[in-house]
Amino acid sequence: MILAHPQKCVACHLCEGACSFKHEGAFQPAKTRIFVHDFVDEAVYVPVACFHCKDAPCLSNCPTYAITRDPLTGQVTVNDDKCIGCKMCMVACPFSVMGFQTERNVAQNCDLCGGDPQCVKVCVYDALEYVDLEPTDWMVRLDMAERPAAAAG
Amino acid sequence: MPYGWVGHVLRVNLTEGSAKKEPLNFDWARQYIGGRGLGTRYLYEEIDPRCDPLGPENKVIFATGPLTGTFAPTGGRYMVLCKGPLTDAIACSNSGGYWGPELKFAGYDMVILEGRSPKPVYIWVYNDQVEIRDAAHVWGKTTEETEDILRAETDPQARISGIGPAGENLNRVACVINDKSRAAGRSGVGAAVGSKNVKAIVVRGTGAVQVADALKFSELVFESLKEINESPVTAGALRGLGTASTVGFTNSVGILPTNNFQQCTFEHANAIGGPTIAQTVLRRNKGCYSCPIGCARVTEIRDQTSKWQGRGEGPEYESIFGLGSDCGVGDLNAVLYANYLCNLYAVDTISAGGTVAAAMELAERGYIPKEDLAELDFELKFGNADAVMKCLELMTYRKGKLGNLMAEGGYRLAEHYGHPELFMGSKKQDFAAYDPRGAKGMGLGYATSNRGACHLRGYSMTLEWFAPMEMRLDPFTTDGKAQAQMQLQDKCAAEDSSGVCTFTTFVVTPDKLAPMYNAATGENLSVEEWMNAGDRIWNLERLFNNRAGLSRKDDTLPPRMTREPLTGGAVQGQVVELAPMLEEYYRIRGWDEDGNPKADTLARLGLA
Repeated sequence: MILAHPQKCVACHLCEGACSFKHEGAFQPAKTRIFVHDFVDEAVYVPVACFHCKDAPCLSNCPTYAITRDPLTGQVTVNDDKCIGCKMCMVACPFSVMGFQTERNVAQNCDLCGGDPQCVKVCVYDALEYVDLEPTDWMVRLDMAERPAAAAG
Repeated sequence: MPYGWVGHVLRVNLTEGSAKKEPLNFDWARQYIGGRGLGTRYLYEEIDPRCDPLGPENKVIFATGPLTGTFAPTGGRYMVLCKGPLTDAIACSNSGGYWGPELKFAGYDMVILEGRSPKPVYIWVYNDQVEIRDAAHVWGKTTEETEDILRAETDPQARISGIGPAGENLNRVACVINDKSRAAGRSGVGAAVGSKNVKAIVVRGTGAVQVADALKFSELVFESLKEINESPVTAGALRGLGTASTVGFTNSVGILPTNNFQQCTFEHANAIGGPTIAQTVLRRNKGCYSCPIGCARVTEIRDQTSKWQGRGEGPEYESIFGLGSDCGVGDLNAVLYANYLCNLYAVDTISAGGTVAAAMELAERGYIPKEDLAELDFELKFGNADAVMKCLELMTYRKGKLGNLMAEGGYRLAEHYGHPELFMGSKKQDFAAYDPRGAKGMGLGYATSNRGACHLRGYSMTLEWFAPMEMRLDPFTTDGKAQAQMQLQDKCAAEDSSGVCTFTTFVVTPDKLAPMYNAATGENLSVEEWMNAGDRIWNLERLFNNRAGLSRKDDTLPPRMTREPLTGGAVQGQVVELAPMLEEYYRIRGWDEDGNPKADTLARLGLA
């Protein structure tokens, strides 16, 4: 998964550009799969991409079983041919990182660029890191959630 | 769909209250790259350079470059062009933030504002939907308040570029502010927007910017990102301490202008320099769109005992000089507070500071009658931070006689009191923070800059002081300065027009930037043709100015720079020998003795 270090982020949105460039072949942040939330007044910038949750609400709420998990890597994937565009997964996602392709009428999440994530590659601030999913990942997520709050305080 | 450019211009006629989408002129886009060059071409075609810059016949263009909105390093810039209210010359002010890319995602390379609205309005652009909306409820509000209100009534992800109270009051040093604290600062472009009764342009776009050769483009960008990330300038000084990192250096060599350029070192320089900022007021770094440098400083005043309180962005090096050393203010909290005020009012920190500094010297020398100083409440003298804050308020709201005069900028103020020689600038625009007596190339640059005195039109500091020893030009001689300045001016004109930030170009040279532009747009310019395009842009700006009535008589420096040497510091005994540099400069530019481009020069550049 893409592990973010919000305290290193400067809100340059380079990752969004790189993401859309990789997946859409053009620079279009409206279709990015990684999102930088910039809370300007609080000076807190938080990049968020799909966490490939251990107990993924998108997966368990999909009526057509279009969302599956790779048993080896743990990666959560939307299978376009089964997706009917009902957006249940978007509603279910606790982090609001499930995106949607209007033209193709399918949901989309971070696909880790097949193991070479462009957002990580483009981030010169080392605010993004590509890490394997581990059983301890809940601790990582908790830490991520707490750090922006600490930075804001 | 075109590559690099998105191919459309939004033309808003404010007199009629109409907006229309028209195709971009691609012939011009190819010849003038984009942004600054292309915008100048449109202005040159569409307005009379002799027009009143605050009249409805002037036009204001918000222009992006072909790299704006891509992930080219610092590909987030846009420019505001018009005839400058401060300078009566061509104006092009450059800003970062997120507004420029958003405009391209909405499907426009440029917005052209023409005419004058009968009442205050703002323009709301959501892709193809454009509305001219009433702005009575935000008129008079600061930039921050305006942004919050307009975002709440349009779209939570909208980006906003607009003016503050200064622009509304046609203050000639008013700027345009986007994203709360990024400024298209110079030449009074904010007043031109204010004269059209436009408060802001609010943009939200969901479209795409495409590039011609994705693989090549990607490869060049990743190489450049690596270079930037390894450079001691961009990743070291600028990311580490911001532009404020320069304060210590310029002060140590003696070119940090102090007390309206009466001194070149400042006793409190350390108190307002980069390291102090990092240790005391810095909250964190920020980057503009697509920026791998991250020089912006998000700050807050933490000292609870200080009379100045607040938070915001800044200060940049130029603001530290303008509101700090040039006014003799050595209290960092005061400099920060003045900077925040400038952002809220939307005035240019350089020119506002320069104007206050000129007023201070006029007052100290007794040239301003006592009754004119009555509404000030504070003694107008160097080092008095209270007076700086009060002056900013008076000039923004044009309060009283002094406020009204300061709102006209430093030159007109000094001229009114009979001492225009105490205004430190060129073409009525204030100098930036490098004393040209200690960097002669900067002197030539200030004098010949098309938009009035400016450090970024030909930033020869890079060669005269910042370059490694073996590449350095002696800052105290005039040798080779005309040639260096000309090349820097052409280079910068091309780079600005492409949509990247000057700081990127410290590392990413034209031999990489030109191919990047080619890969984005599908053009095929050699490095030589790229520089040639810069030359063409520079000469077109000059033509605009000549038609506006400017000539050699305006390529000047105040007598303090050419006749009064400083005592102390490394620049001891130095003055700027402008005449010989100017003569050589005109000659190699291919201009006549009065500074008009010759016929064969115009023919060579395709401007005939």
